[in-house]
Amino acid sequence: MSFRQSRFFQFPWRSRTQIMGDIDTELNFHLEMRVAELVGQGLTPEEAARRAREEFGDVEFTRSYCRDVDLRTERSVRSADRMVAWRQDAKYAWQTLRRSPGFAVVSLLTLALAIGANTAIFSVARAVLLKPLPFGTPSALMRVFESWPQNPSAHTPLSPPNFVDYRTQQHTFTDLAALQQWSVTWRPENADPAILTALAVSASMFNVLQVGALHGRTFSPGDDTPGNTFKAIVSHGFWQRALGGDVARIGGRITLNDRAYDLIGVMPRGFTVGANEDVWTPLDLSDEIAHATVTRKQHWVHAIGRLKPGIAIDAARADLRTISRRLEVQYPEADSGRVAVLVPLHEVVAGDLRSPILLLQGAALMVLLIACANLANLTLSRTMGRRREMALRAALGASRARLIGQLLTESVLLSLVGGAIGVGLAVVATRLLLRLNPETLPAMFAAGLDSRVLLFSFVLSVATGVLFGLMPALDAARADLHDSLKEGGRGTSGGRGERVRRALVVVQVGLAVMLLVGAGLLLRSFGELTRVRMGFEPDHVLTAEITASGVRYDSAAAVNLLYDGVLGDIARSPGVVAVGAAMVLPTRGHMNTSVRVQGEPADEKNLPDLGYVSVRGDYFKAMHIPLLAGRGYDASDRPDGPKTAIINQTAAHRFFPKGNAIGGRIRIGPRPDTPWMTIVGVVGDIRDEGLDIETKPTLFANHVQEAWDRTLNIVIRTAGDPDAATHVLRSAVKAADPGLALREVRSLDQVVGSSLAARRFALGLAACFAGVALLLAAVGIYGVLAYMVTTRTREFGVRLALGATTVNVVLLVLRQGLGWSLFGLALGIGGAIVAGRLLSGMLFGVSATDVTTYLVVATGSVIVVVVACIVPAARATRVDPLESIRAE
Amino acid sequence: MHRTPSELLQGTVDILILRALAWESMHGYAISRWLDRGSDGVLAVEGAALYQALHRLEHRKLVAASWGLSENNRKAKFYTLTPPGRARLRAESAVWKAYANAVSKILSPA
Repeated sequence: MSFRQSRFFQFPWRSRTQIMGDIDTELNFHLEMRVAELVGQGLTPEEAARRAREEFGDVEFTRSYCRDVDLRTERSVRSADRMVAWRQDAKYAWQTLRRSPGFAVVSLLTLALAIGANTAIFSVARAVLLKPLPFGTPSALMRVFESWPQNPSAHTPLSPPNFVDYRTQQHTFTDLAALQQWSVTWRPENADPAILTALAVSASMFNVLQVGALHGRTFSPGDDTPGNTFKAIVSHGFWQRALGGDVARIGGRITLNDRAYDLIGVMPRGFTVGANEDVWTPLDLSDEIAHATVTRKQHWVHAIGRLKPGIAIDAARADLRTISRRLEVQYPEADSGRVAVLVPLHEVVAGDLRSPILLLQGAALMVLLIACANLANLTLSRTMGRRREMALRAALGASRARLIGQLLTESVLLSLVGGAIGVGLAVVATRLLLRLNPETLPAMFAAGLDSRVLLFSFVLSVATGVLFGLMPALDAARADLHDSLKEGGRGTSGGRGERVRRALVVVQVGLAVMLLVGAGLLLRSFGELTRVRMGFEPDHVLTAEITASGVRYDSAAAVNLLYDGVLGDIARSPGVVAVGAAMVLPTRGHMNTSVRVQGEPADEKNLPDLGYVSVRGDYFKAMHIPLLAGRGYDASDRPDGPKTAIINQTAAHRFFPKGNAIGGRIRIGPRPDTPWMTIVGVVGDIRDEGLDIETKPTLFANHVQEAWDRTLNIVIRTAGDPDAATHVLRSAVKAADPGLALREVRSLDQVVGSSLAARRFALGLAACFAGVALLLAAVGIYGVLAYMVTTRTREFGVRLALGATTVNVVLLVLRQGLGWSLFGLALGIGGAIVAGRLLSGMLFGVSATDVTTYLVVATGSVIVVVVACIVPAARATRVDPLESIRAE
Repeated sequence: MHRTPSELLQGTVDILILRALAWESMHGYAISRWLDRGSDGVLAVEGAALYQALHRLEHRKLVAASWGLSENNRKAKFYTLTPPGRARLRAESAVWKAYANAVSKILSPA
């Protein structure tokens, strides 16, 4: 036996008092021995005692010195002992697990799924909700909006003059910066042109965000003043992809929209202000400021501000609102009822994602809890079987703490291994899911594993191991020595363990039912959405975005000439049924303006809203939007002729309730000098803002007469495969102007589908979680019943011997299983009704207490439970009465 | 009585103790007697220094301690050389012998 082990057994851990006592015993022994020796040499006892102490030296100092040394020794011994004990436990746990591979595999699989799901969701939650935005001191960044007089809870971008007034008059921000998204056509020297997403930004933007250029520089003050704006900064991605990552290109020129821009800098990899944009150009507002009477009513400036250090958001809000009140007084016509609204930038970017992510994380945690209940059950059954082993170890001197420690080591080890596998699964799953659904997350967020996510998974794994291992460990360590050894290894039936197991099954079923209801409601919502009457038919339609960019399209005539040519060319091609174009495609939103009906009294301060989409060509025919009254646009609607309008059914009902829409006249926008438009047609409603948004009154203006918007989405209805029209489209555009580019060439089905991407993503995950939960719960019920049947073999034998039929026995087992499950079901439904309200924001067309969903979930759960009960029940009937009794 | 020269280093006491335990386990008093006898009283070590050294050596795991019964049937703490202690004794002895040789060479008359 090595010295370390002998040390371990001979000296149990010593307390401070024991250590002091030991030192005194040792030193006194020395002194007494010396005294005895000196007395033997003839000294008197007093003389001898004096001599002995004198020879010894400083006794008190030695005592305290030895105490300090021994306390240190004790500490290192204890930690070494703990290490040894832990290593023994781990080794023992490993061996135990290897002896029961079935248990290990089932547990590991369960743990890997549950911890993996949590890790995957957490990596997204961390990226979107927890990680600071990739800007300097991002918590000080605010978006500035204005409230909307008609709807105080909604907010709009600022008007350019208001933005300038806020910027110059405020005291609480280091600065405000404006941004507006646009698209530019980039014309490389020897390649096809391409449309790029660009942001026009105040020169101060990069200072506000506190992000510098990777190469070159960002904008300097004055770059956004007239004559200085032909400067561009490009994204790292564009620089790599299109400019070969060549530093020498910085300081050179690039051609955007036929204009030469000085390329002054490249931003760091991944930098975006939110649109995944490739180009930043200066935003010059001087023209708008010069025409402030008009532009103060145009709300399109998105503003970002940085709070001065130490300024709270409330102080900044109060500051801006003082300015709002001043503006209301100064410009009542444009600004009355408009108040500055401050929202932290992070909230604006992550806002919509917060509740789905939190709900999914909650669902994942519920799956983990169910897994814990399952594993606790499994472990409980196992430790029941191991009672003899435990009792034996206890008899051999293992303390209760040591036994619990050993069992906990087993469960924690198991959950750590399971967690490690789970993290691996999470990495693969997250990458895969995000690749399949690229539009789910905003560009600013990069979900992935970092040290925090790994820490989360580690802590979660340990907690899981303790959670499912503690109860069985406590139970096993409490095992009565005599009973266990005497009973010949059969666990006691009934009693505490049994009750705990039933409680676990109840909890499991309850949680699973809650998840199923949640997933069911989301599924029903999705079903409702796909059944929504869209008002157009997305199949067999090809779409593409095109921008008439460049100086040569500065006149409306040139724009009209271009689009007439392109659309006419496509219309004449074989296989094309109809072709048209719209400023924005259905489900992608629309602009908003205000409307006044001729001859009707109007509240000038509170004009009704009207959605605005300009269209041209055979748009309605290509989209299969029915013409309900009047006519579509035709050649009689001249660019410079009287203005004509087509409105949707909702607008016709709202503004012309007597059915006299055709021939009625409306004026859009705030300016009183805008010409009246005569309504020539009414078309059916379409879901243009999104499938889940009710149709609002909308004007489909004639792009021929409103050609100021140079970006259009061409829609081509084809007889056959819409993709086949791609080359027709490209050659028509090339023939009209080889300098123009197309973007987002895809079918309308894809456009509509992508509007549901986030919803589909959340639904898919929720359904997966619910499925796993149900499976786990079924396995749990099966496990408990199977165990019960095993422990009650004798009872069943007796019952069968006394004349019970197999049906009686089956019913007995079923009643047990179903009884607990129904209780769990009831609890789960109660929980779902309470928690369902959290989901209501994500539902469409169903209420959170949709009876059908609850019924289906309840029925489904009962069926699964019955199936889980049948195998153990059948086994109970196969008990041979004689065998079972003889086995005792 | 013999006083330990103050310049007798801690290290010297340590090596003497290790040497004392080379053959058998001993309690502190026995070690002190052994040192006294073995050096004819020249190297008698003060009890204070001896026990401080013993506890230090125990902390450094060069000796191990266990309770046992003394010759006169009293509870006493016995010290045993551990394998690292034996290795240390071997190494230190060599150094000491070389050192002692050098010193005596210098001090002996030419």
